[in-house]
Amino acid sequence: MKRFTDSLLGLVVLGVSIITVLFLVIPLLMAAVMSFDSREYLGQFPPPGLSTRWYTSFFSDAYYLKGLKVSLLLALTSTCLSTMVGVAAAFTLDRYRFPGREVLSAFFLSPLIVPHVIIGFSLLLFFSSIGLLDGFVRLVLGHLIITVPYVIRTTLASLVGIRKSFMEAALILGATESRAMWKITVPLAKTGIAAGAVFALAYSLDDVSVSLFLTDPNFYTLPVAMTNMMRSQFDLRIASASVLLMIMTIVLIWLLDRIAGLDNVVGQGVYHK
Amino acid sequence: MPVLEFSNVNKRFGGELAVDNVSFQVGEGRIVSLLGPSGCGKTTTLRLIAGFEQPDGGDIRIRGESVARKRPYERNVGLVFQDYALFPHMTVEANIAFGMRERGVPQSEFAERTAKVLELVKMQGLQRRNPHQLSGGQQQRVALARALVTEPSLLLLDEPLSNLDAKLRESLRIELKQILRSAGITTIIVTHDQSEAMSMADHIIVMSKGRVMQRGSAEEIYSTPANRFVADFIGQSNWFNGQLQGNRFVTDDGLTIAVGDRAGAGAAELGIRPERIAVRTNGTRGWDGANVLGGKIETTEYLGPTIHHWVRLQSGRTVHAIVQNDGQCFARHGQDIHLEIRPEDCLVLGPEP
Repeated sequence: MKRFTDSLLGLVVLGVSIITVLFLVIPLLMAAVMSFDSREYLGQFPPPGLSTRWYTSFFSDAYYLKGLKVSLLLALTSTCLSTMVGVAAAFTLDRYRFPGREVLSAFFLSPLIVPHVIIGFSLLLFFSSIGLLDGFVRLVLGHLIITVPYVIRTTLASLVGIRKSFMEAALILGATESRAMWKITVPLAKTGIAAGAVFALAYSLDDVSVSLFLTDPNFYTLPVAMTNMMRSQFDLRIASASVLLMIMTIVLIWLLDRIAGLDNVVGQGVYHK
Repeated sequence: MPVLEFSNVNKRFGGELAVDNVSFQVGEGRIVSLLGPSGCGKTTTLRLIAGFEQPDGGDIRIRGESVARKRPYERNVGLVFQDYALFPHMTVEANIAFGMRERGVPQSEFAERTAKVLELVKMQGLQRRNPHQLSGGQQQRVALARALVTEPSLLLLDEPLSNLDAKLRESLRIELKQILRSAGITTIIVTHDQSEAMSMADHIIVMSKGRVMQRGSAEEIYSTPANRFVADFIGQSNWFNGQLQGNRFVTDDGLTIAVGDRAGAGAAELGIRPERIAVRTNGTRGWDGANVLGGKIETTEYLGPTIHHWVRLQSGRTVHAIVQNDGQCFARHGQDIHLEIRPEDCLVLGPEP
């Protein structure tokens, strides 16, 4: 009887896992298949024939292309900035014990908890009141705020695993503090830093809610373009755009796995040994 | 001129005095050990010399130059960390080159210096290994090589053998001592292990609660401890409370023991090292002029090279005696025996202030 309940529980867990995976994968697969639909109109699944017409259409649409270009440029810019800012913040939080450290740490991580719609709206109000109207700058700053917490978290996690004596050994061997940081701490924390950068890139590519508030007619991201098109001109170019974003994300995940090992990053939060 | 002058140094953490007015000097080529239990201030002293902490008072001079306010990289000090702290992302060679590069040694000297220092620590041929591919003992040698290659004025060793297993520790102790001697480097060894300090250092500074308790050679510290702390920290003793009266000591439980000529009188403590007590079966005599105490063997531990006896005296007090296993002592559990204690083997300490 004991064995029976155990096996039953095992089966239930297995079943739930399979359903979850299917639930995650099926819609994605459907979107991917639909993006190759040969019909001119939006029809039922499955498509009667396949073609690349929606991709051709996507790449010949100036509105989408502009969105894609801005998204890529924005993702690269905000990732570079947020990696620099996040690493600096993580090093500070790791090295120094000062009053208010906990508060500062919570503050840095708060964008993970605060809904992005709220962040987007607040930033819009703030930027308007200080007269910052340039769409690209606003987007970069907005994305910086939502991606920095990931960099801080992964970097901090890898810094925790670095023994204090490494830094001291470098100092006693004649290295200045900044040399020691550059030659010892940064190389040892590089998996965490790289993981943070990849997360930042992925979240920046994906974001709608913050970007929606900060775009202007000249600078809008691909996900924002998709959202707008969904209302005005709903067709399968959205599916092809989704597939493109999916491919980019898959490439990023593959990169992350190559650099840090996916288990290290997602499973254990990059804690060393 | 001494290599290191540590003068009246104070260091506080919070309200606690971790180092309390400590002074000592280390001469050229000497090996000095800071010995004490954890929390005695020895590690703080080491970190003050290295520059990881700054003193609240007093001065630290290396070769006459005050370094108390200098950063670690502004002092020419080598340090072997307790966990060795070899950089895990660098090979043995790169670990050794790190200090030379940071200290501005010309690149052309790297190969020769590395070879020399690896030969000294007997690690030739392992340049290309990574630290995690080395055993604990090998890691320690690399850490030593890394510290020595920059030719520091002073070498600090933090608990050098504590991360190794007991067997390896003894063989490495002798080897480490030979390496230090052949390098001729002035060394300070911080340790809580008395045998490590006694075997490797030619001068021992015993510390407790941030203060220096006693300094001297291993023999001086063992045979004439300055106080009860030193006597107990380095070796064991049987302690009796009582009164010193001229050349005899009267214990509170009524024994009178001749202790030789001593200055002073009054309440004091008498300590007798277990291995200085002879156990004789009744009817045999050993030393002339020794104190003789009758008793019965209560417990015996046969440990091979030595045999430990716990002997209950007629007063009811138990005394611990250690006898060399020379095959001649046939004292057994439950047997009536007598103990012999020579007056010169008695440690008499005034009451602690």
